[in-house]
Formats: sequence, structure tokens, C-alpha cells
Amino acid sequence: MKKIFTIFSAFILFSLILTACGENKPAPSPVKLGMIKHLNASEEEFNNFTKEISSTLSLNLTSYNPVFYDNLNSMLMALDSGEIKVISTYDCVARYITARNSKYEIIKDDTLEFIDAFCFAMREDNTALKNDVDKFIDDIRNDGTLSQLTKEYVTNVKNSDPPAVEIQHFDGADTIKIAVTGDLPPLDLVLANGQPDGFNTALLAELGKRLHKNIEIINVDSAARASALMSNRVDLIFWAIVPVSEIIPADADKPDGAELSTPYYRGKIVHVKLKD
Amino acid sequence: METVYAIFIKDGAWLTILKGLWATVQISALSLLFGTILGALICILRVSNFNPAKVFAQIYIAVIRGSPVLMLLMLFFYGIFARTDLTPITIAVITFSMHTAAYVAELLRSALMTVDKGQVEAARTLGFSKVQAFQLVALPQIIRVAKPVYQSTLINLIQWTSVVGYVSITDLTRVINNTAARTMQPMITIIGGMIIYLALSYVIHEIFAWTEKKN
Repeated sequence: MKKIFTIFSAFILFSLILTACGENKPAPSPVKLGMIKHLNASEEEFNNFTKEISSTLSLNLTSYNPVFYDNLNSMLMALDSGEIKVISTYDCVARYITARNSKYEIIKDDTLEFIDAFCFAMREDNTALKNDVDKFIDDIRNDGTLSQLTKEYVTNVKNSDPPAVEIQHFDGADTIKIAVTGDLPPLDLVLANGQPDGFNTALLAELGKRLHKNIEIINVDSAARASALMSNRVDLIFWAIVPVSEIIPADADKPDGAELSTPYYRGKIVHVKLKD
Repeated sequence: METVYAIFIKDGAWLTILKGLWATVQISALSLLFGTILGALICILRVSNFNPAKVFAQIYIAVIRGSPVLMLLMLFFYGIFARTDLTPITIAVITFSMHTAAYVAELLRSALMTVDKGQVEAARTLGFSKVQAFQLVALPQIIRVAKPVYQSTLINLIQWTSVVGYVSITDLTRVINNTAARTMQPMITIIGGMIIYLALSYVIHEIFAWTEKKN
């Protein structure tokens, strides 16, 4: 009996030693990363893109667990509450955030180097407008207006609001209706007096001036942009495309029945977190 | 305090917030008015002995109460009324009136069921006309029973209207969201917005309490 007890004890001890030796350190859990929802590419599609990018470009994206939000406000509130640890946004937006709220900081040494291109979206049957908008973007790029507007409304915007935009009115001219969201400063914001402002609005003022058309700005929730366009409520909306080689096609997030213009701005994606 | 001033007061921000609040009040008040009238009509159909009318009212109540108000609003704005000249506020009022009507119809029906038929019959035997019996005997009881639920419906209605930003209306919620995005102080701004909504609910509570006292 004593022999059996000794053998059994030795077996238990041996098993414990083996278990302890074989124990691996738990893998670090992925960092919860807040991202703005892509409107037409589903979260599942986006996760597939992420996996494909990870394997093709040898980037360690799996260390992030993306959590999708409707807008920047809800994403920042999730960051404040500790629900997520990091948010992903455009460099100009990140600079705007950190300039206005000192509790946030941009993560400098990040390995992700994605660049989103911003463009207009219009209904695909509206070819005249697409041609006009493409020509407008080419023109303002070539004559330096685009860089000037970028400097004035994006680069130089620090602690103060961007300059107010004045949209000219042309008597008897046609009107282009455009949806803005007001929730992506300094590209798209609404001033304290309720007037739409920012880089996109400045671009619209220039568009109206060059096409000699009136611009009607309609403030809609960002999730309703595609519906507003496809139901003819507006003629143009702002859109971002994510061209990462051929893994994410440029039209991955494009609404059906819509056409995208030439990109007018490129924004690098950076990460923002709460200061330690 | 400086941050609160910068968010809610500076550069005319308070005026923009008031304009947003006015849009919320306007949509809620008009929807309550039309929703109550429509709800009373639906209630009449619902309790009538004419079967097709009864079935219609039942279907209306089931469909409208079972649909999220945001979906209904988007369906009307971006679908059914997309090619009309109706303003976004008019479409919002139509949507919320229809939505409120379904709730009002049911609350009126339940209030109606609490009235003892015998009382109305007794009034009729005492020489009251049908209208008089309803107005003097049934109606006061219906109002007394329906009032607390009606108050909740109104408060719910105000909260439901917070989705009108999806149809290009700048209401209180939309202004608060825009302000939060501009100032990058979402937590403080949204708490401020909540306080305004709470104040609005409190005003309604006080109005109802005052009418109680008056009676």
C-alpha cells in the first residue's frame, strides 16, 4: 500500500513538474482599436482585408482587435472610458484632436502606414457632374488652389477654428446639393454659430465659384450619406477610399450605383491614445 | 468652467444650441398634436364593431409599433417622399405623428376599457345625450387614467426625435454631436446635451403636475 502511495505521489509530482515546464506564457491579448465604420464594406469584409494585408505585406495587424464606431465622438468616448485603447484616424484629425484636448496623444512609432484618399461620390448616371468635378479637381491641383486650401484649412489649423467659408450665390444658376457631416474636423466641421466649415466646405465654395453654380450644403449623419445620394436628396457626398495595393480595391467601400471622383486629398492613418 | 464656457457659450454656441432645441420642440409638439388626433381616430376604429376598420387599426398599430422609428423615418425621407417637395421637418412630423398615433390609440383604448359601461348607461337613463354621457361621464375618467401614460409618451417622443439628424435636420442631438466633434470634448458636451433633454422632460412633468393640481 505504501509502495502504491509512493508511486502515485511520484507520478503526481512528475506530472506537475511537466505541466509547469510545458506552460507557455499567455499570448498578449490584441489591443482594442477603434475605427470608424466603413459604410458599405461590412465589418467581416474589412476583417478579411486586414488578414490579407497581414499575410501579404508582413504586417502584424492581428495584434489589433478592431472595434467599429459610427463616428469620431463615440470612438473618443470609448477611448475615454477604456473600452478601447487606441483609435485609428487621419493624421490631420489626430492633430486637431490633440491640439484641443491635451489628454490625447498621437502614437509616434506605429508600424501601420495606410493612406486613405478622399474624393466625391455622385450617382453613376450623373456623368456631367462627374466630369465637372474631375475637371475642377485637376484645375485646382494644377493652379495651386488645392495646396493653398490644404494649407489654410488643414495644415495651419492649430488651436483656433479654421477660417469661416463664404459660399457665393449666383442668381438664377443651378444648385448642387451636397451632404456634409460635420463630424470629421478639420475636414468637415460645424462652427459654433452653426455654419458648416472646414476643408471640404472650402472646397465646395471653390467648386461653386468655378462651375458658376449655387451650392446647397445639407448636414446629414455620416451613416445616411449613401441613402441621401441614392435617393436624389443630394447630388454629391464626400467619400474616402482605401487603396492598399490591390488587396483592398479602391471601390471596396463604394455604394452601388455611385461613381467616385478623382481623389483631392490623401490622409495618412495614425493612432491616438490617452496619455499615460 | 472655462471648457464649459468654450463648449456651450462662446462664439454664439448657445444660440446654435437653442436653435437645435427649437427644432426638437417644434417636431415634438406638432407630432404630439397630430399623433393625438390620429391616435384618437385609430382608437375609434379599433373599438368599433365594423370588422374591416378594426382589422385595419390592429394592423396599423402592430406595424407601426413594431417598426423602429429611425427605419420608418428613413423609409419616408429617402424612399416614399424622396421625390416630393416636402421639407425634412414636415416628413419628420408625419413620421413621428404616425408613430405616436399607434401608442396614443392603444393608451386611449386601455383607458376606455377602464370605464364602466354601466355608468354611461345610467347617464343615458337619466336623460343625458350620447355626447353628454361621453363628455361628462366617460371622458373625465379616460383622461385621468390616460394622463400618466400620455406624459410618458410625450417624453419618449422627445427622445425619439433625436434621430432626425439622419434626415438632414439639425435638432438638439445633432447640434450636440457637431459641438462635440468641433471642440473634441465629447463627454462634457454630451452630458450637457443630456441635461438639456432632462430639463425639457422636467418642464413637461411640471406642466402635467400643474394640470393635476388645477383639476
